[in-house]
Amino acid sequence: MDIYLPIAEVSVNAPLIVALGLFVGFISGMFGIGGGFLMTPMLVFLGIPPAVAVASMSNHVAASSMSSVIAYGRRRAVDLRMGAVLAVGGIIGAILGVELFRWLRLLGQSELVVAVSYLLFLTIIGGLMLAESLGAILRRRRGQPQPPRRDRRPPWLYGLPLKMRFPRSRLYISVIPPLALGAFVGVLSAIMGVGGGFILVPAMVYLLRMPAGVVVGTSLLQIIVTTALTGVLQAGRNQTVDIVLATLLLAGGIVGAQYGARASQRFRAEELRAVLALIVLFVGLRMGLGLFIAPDEPFVLMNGMHG
Amino acid sequence: MAVEAPPPAISAALTETNVQVSADFRGARIVLYGAVFQPDNRPSDVVVIVRGPEQPVRIARKVRVAGLWLNSRPVVFRGAPGFYMVASNRPLEEISNFGQLRRLGAGVDHLPIDAPDEQRIETRYGVRDVVVSTLGADYYVWRRAVVRLKQAAGLYDEDGRGVRFVDQGLFRAEIALPAGAPTGVYRADILLFQDGKPVSQRVRTLTVEKVGLERTLYLWAHNRPWSYGLAAMAFALAAGWAASAVFRRD
Repeated sequence: MDIYLPIAEVSVNAPLIVALGLFVGFISGMFGIGGGFLMTPMLVFLGIPPAVAVASMSNHVAASSMSSVIAYGRRRAVDLRMGAVLAVGGIIGAILGVELFRWLRLLGQSELVVAVSYLLFLTIIGGLMLAESLGAILRRRRGQPQPPRRDRRPPWLYGLPLKMRFPRSRLYISVIPPLALGAFVGVLSAIMGVGGGFILVPAMVYLLRMPAGVVVGTSLLQIIVTTALTGVLQAGRNQTVDIVLATLLLAGGIVGAQYGARASQRFRAEELRAVLALIVLFVGLRMGLGLFIAPDEPFVLMNGMHG
Repeated sequence: MAVEAPPPAISAALTETNVQVSADFRGARIVLYGAVFQPDNRPSDVVVIVRGPEQPVRIARKVRVAGLWLNSRPVVFRGAPGFYMVASNRPLEEISNFGQLRRLGAGVDHLPIDAPDEQRIETRYGVRDVVVSTLGADYYVWRRAVVRLKQAAGLYDEDGRGVRFVDQGLFRAEIALPAGAPTGVYRADILLFQDGKPVSQRVRTLTVEKVGLERTLYLWAHNRPWSYGLAAMAFALAAGWAASAVFRRD
């Protein structure tokens, strides 16, 4: 059953898109991530113009994050104040990111920047995660104790001005690092069509030293605010949000996420992280590979939104 | 007293003049049929040219920089139709000569497209006002790439056997619109050639338009992008909230 997407102006197989949403939703629920990094490249592979895929993903990620943040909020696992500071950074980043993406499209270089961003961020994060999780698995196999979590926070976090208290996270730190982190993730969300959880969560754990219990819930809050703004800005500035596409993805994504979350309870955390690290690495390398391989067709059309 | 024979004439019609792009649109095939009236039975040829609304083409070339394949600065070609199809009963170069085909814009090699932003006018060898393209000798490589990529997308087509005579003076041709065909008014020129010259012409128009929900969403997104963006996001957030409410009861 094919359906014509009014904004993307292409005809796609509707059950296939719903199945893709289901699959990515399952992975997203299983690993507690948004899954944008996986979905956007697949949509482009299916023939959706990249700019439409990136922009429509904002709506999809906002919706799926909304469906999970409520559960975290009920468990009081959200640091609202930290979420607000991150979101302010995210708003600045999203505005900059949408303008940057617009400018890159005019230059014809958006494709390059998307590929490089995927290659760079996914391989770094994937590599770090893989090393960390394999280490944990090996130590457990050998019966060694896991190293205690270092609670000593980096001194630069305390040296900066504009300190603020975050009671839920038991932190008293400068607002500059979370603001900068939020802005950085906001830019990425506009350029890569991702929520940015795969960068936000490790950064909150290892840089800001937030308690593990509130990290995911708080990052979801930031992601909702940032992607909601990105989605509106992309629609307003670039006219690239396809609500039919976002709705199809959502239909599968919500159901998949519930089953993924249930399935995740059967596996150990470090094994899940190792599998996720492999997926992240694979997507990063696959997206970046095109930069190194001589193309079959030396020319590329960039009509309208196909940039 | 000899009665003067009427001049040769062509007439044609489309089976469909209004193509509606709705949710289940997967492209369309439109049949064009027509008749040739030629009292003296001289050999004649039929050429059908269909042009969609003009759509500037942005095209970039992959260039290798420090081991990486990157896009060059995009070049904009103007005058390119969003859809172009030419069909004839035998290959165009057998029907008429280069100059005639170029004047009519018949054939993908004769499309009147150029890249004005890349041109400058200068004096060369003492000749003033010479148009020079900064693309240089590569200009034709770029031009051919535009046609090749459009052909690959099913938007450009040249078929030297696309017009078939089904009976004495009666012919038919097919217009295959892909799902990605642009919306707007299409113009079909149906030409009768004798001795390499067009002797009769008919023009038919075809409208491709979005209808129903597709049209509503498309117009909304383009005419009121901010209200569309806000509504789309509100809908997405509400759907997410509703989903969490549904699955909570499970």
